[in-house]
Amino acid sequence: MNHSFIDEHSHIDSFLNRLDARTKIISFFTLILFIILSRPDAYFGFALYTLLLIILIIFSQIPLSYILKRCLVVLPFILMTSALLPFGQQGESIVLMKVGDMSIRVAAAGWLIFKGVLIKGVLSIICLTLLTASTPFSELLAALEALKCPKIITMILSFMYRYVFLIEDEAMKMRRAMKSRSAGHSRWLQLKAIANMIGVLFIRSYERGETVYLAMCSRGFDGTIKRDHSFDFKKTDYAFATNLFVILIGIKFLDNIFGR
Amino acid sequence: MEDKIINIKNLNYSYPDGTAALYDINLEIREGESLGIIGSNGAGKSTLLLHFNGILCGSGEIDIFGEKLTDKNLAQIRGAVGLVFQDPDSQLFMPTVSEDVGFGPRNMGMPEHEIDKSVHRALEEVDMLPALKRSSHHLSVGEKKRIAIATVLSMNPQILVMDEPSSNLDPKHRRELIVLLNRLKMTKIIATHDLDLIAQTCSRVVLMQEGKIIGGGSCPEFLAKAAALC
Repeated sequence: MNHSFIDEHSHIDSFLNRLDARTKIISFFTLILFIILSRPDAYFGFALYTLLLIILIIFSQIPLSYILKRCLVVLPFILMTSALLPFGQQGESIVLMKVGDMSIRVAAAGWLIFKGVLIKGVLSIICLTLLTASTPFSELLAALEALKCPKIITMILSFMYRYVFLIEDEAMKMRRAMKSRSAGHSRWLQLKAIANMIGVLFIRSYERGETVYLAMCSRGFDGTIKRDHSFDFKKTDYAFATNLFVILIGIKFLDNIFGR
Repeated sequence: MEDKIINIKNLNYSYPDGTAALYDINLEIREGESLGIIGSNGAGKSTLLLHFNGILCGSGEIDIFGEKLTDKNLAQIRGAVGLVFQDPDSQLFMPTVSEDVGFGPRNMGMPEHEIDKSVHRALEEVDMLPALKRSSHHLSVGEKKRIAIATVLSMNPQILVMDEPSSNLDPKHRRELIVLLNRLKMTKIIATHDLDLIAQTCSRVVLMQEGKIIGGGSCPEFLAKAAALC
C-alpha cells in the first residue's frame, strides 16, 4: 500500500522546508503562543497574523487547498469544545437569531470569547499544519528529541507513524473479507462482526508489538532508541527566527495602537 | 575439520502457555556453512531460530562461538548473530530506512561516522542504497525483505539467521534474493519450506517435525528424500 499523506509535501524544495526542524518548532510554537495570548477581540491583530501565515504558506509552496482541508478536519473539534461558551456567561445578552416571534439570545461576553476561540483555533491549526507539512516526520521526531521532549513520547509517535498504515491496511482487508461473506446479513449481525473485527485488530496489533519488540531486542535494543541528531543551525535559521520574533512583537504593538 | 560455530545439545522448549515446541534438539553448525532448516508449518523452525541469539532460552546447552549464552555476552552475541524475521514489517520499525539500518550499529555503540559507512555498505550489498531516506511503509515487499537483511548486515554479523526469506515474494524477487544470499559469504541458517531455495543456497539441510529434528544430510540427496515430508 502506498500511504503518503503525512509526508506528502515535506520534500518540496522551498525556503520553509529547508529550515532546521528545531527552528520551525520553536518559531511556530512562539507564533501560536502570541496568537492564543491575544485579546479575544483583537481582530486587527488576527488579520495581521493571517497575513503573516499567508506569506509563510507562499514561502512553503504547500498548496493552500491542502492546508484548508486539514483545517476542515479539525474545525468540528474546535466547534464542539467552544459551542457552549456563548451560553454560560453572565451579563448583557444579544440576539443571535430571530425566527418569527422566537429569538435566540446569547451572552455578549460569551459570544465574543466564542468568536475569539474559533479564530485562534483556526490560526493555530494553520501554524501546526504548516509545521508538520513542511518537515519530514522523522526530522520532526529527531528535533523534538533534540529539544528535550520526553523520549517515551517521541517513541510512541515514531511507532504510530510506522504502524498506523499497517493497522489501517489490516482493517481494510478484514472489512473486505467481511463484506464478501456477508450477503443478505442483517445490520445487527454486521455490527456484531465489526465489534469482533475491532477485537481481532487489537489482538493482532498486540502480537505485532511483541514481534517488533523481539526484532528490536535481537538488534541490541536496551530500552532507549538512539538517534543521530546531526542538526545544523544555519544563518537562515537565525534570520528566520529573529525576524519572525520581531514581526510578532510588531503585530502586538500595532494591535495595541490601532486595534482598540 | 572446520570450527563449530554453534553447538546445541538436548535443547527443549515449551511456550509459557505450556505448548511444547522443541524436543531434544541436537545440532552442530560449522563456520562458513549454509544450513537449511526445513519442515512443515508448526514444526518448530522459527522457535529454534529464536534460540540462536538468546531471544528465547530453553533448557539444554547452547554454545555459540564456543561460549555459553549468558546475560554478559548476550549483547555481543546479538551483534554477531543477525536474525531476520519472516515479516519485514516487524523488522522495520523506524521512520526511515537509514535509521532502521543504523539501529543495530547504534545500539552496539559504534561511532556516528562508522555507522554512516556501515549503513551505506549494508544497503549497497542488498542493492537498496537509493532507498536510504525513504520510509519503510512506502516500499514493496521485495524491497522491504532486502532492507530487513541490510538491518542485520550493518552489524557485521558472522552468522545470518533467516526465517522464511522467500515468503510473499514473486518469482523475480525470489530469484534476486537467491542471488543475494549466494553472494553473502558468512555462515547462513535458513528456515523455510521453500525447498528450491534451499537447493540453490544451502550445502546441508535438517528436517524438523513436531519440534524434533528427524533427519538431515547434504543438500541435494537429502532434499529428494525429505520433499514428501514438508
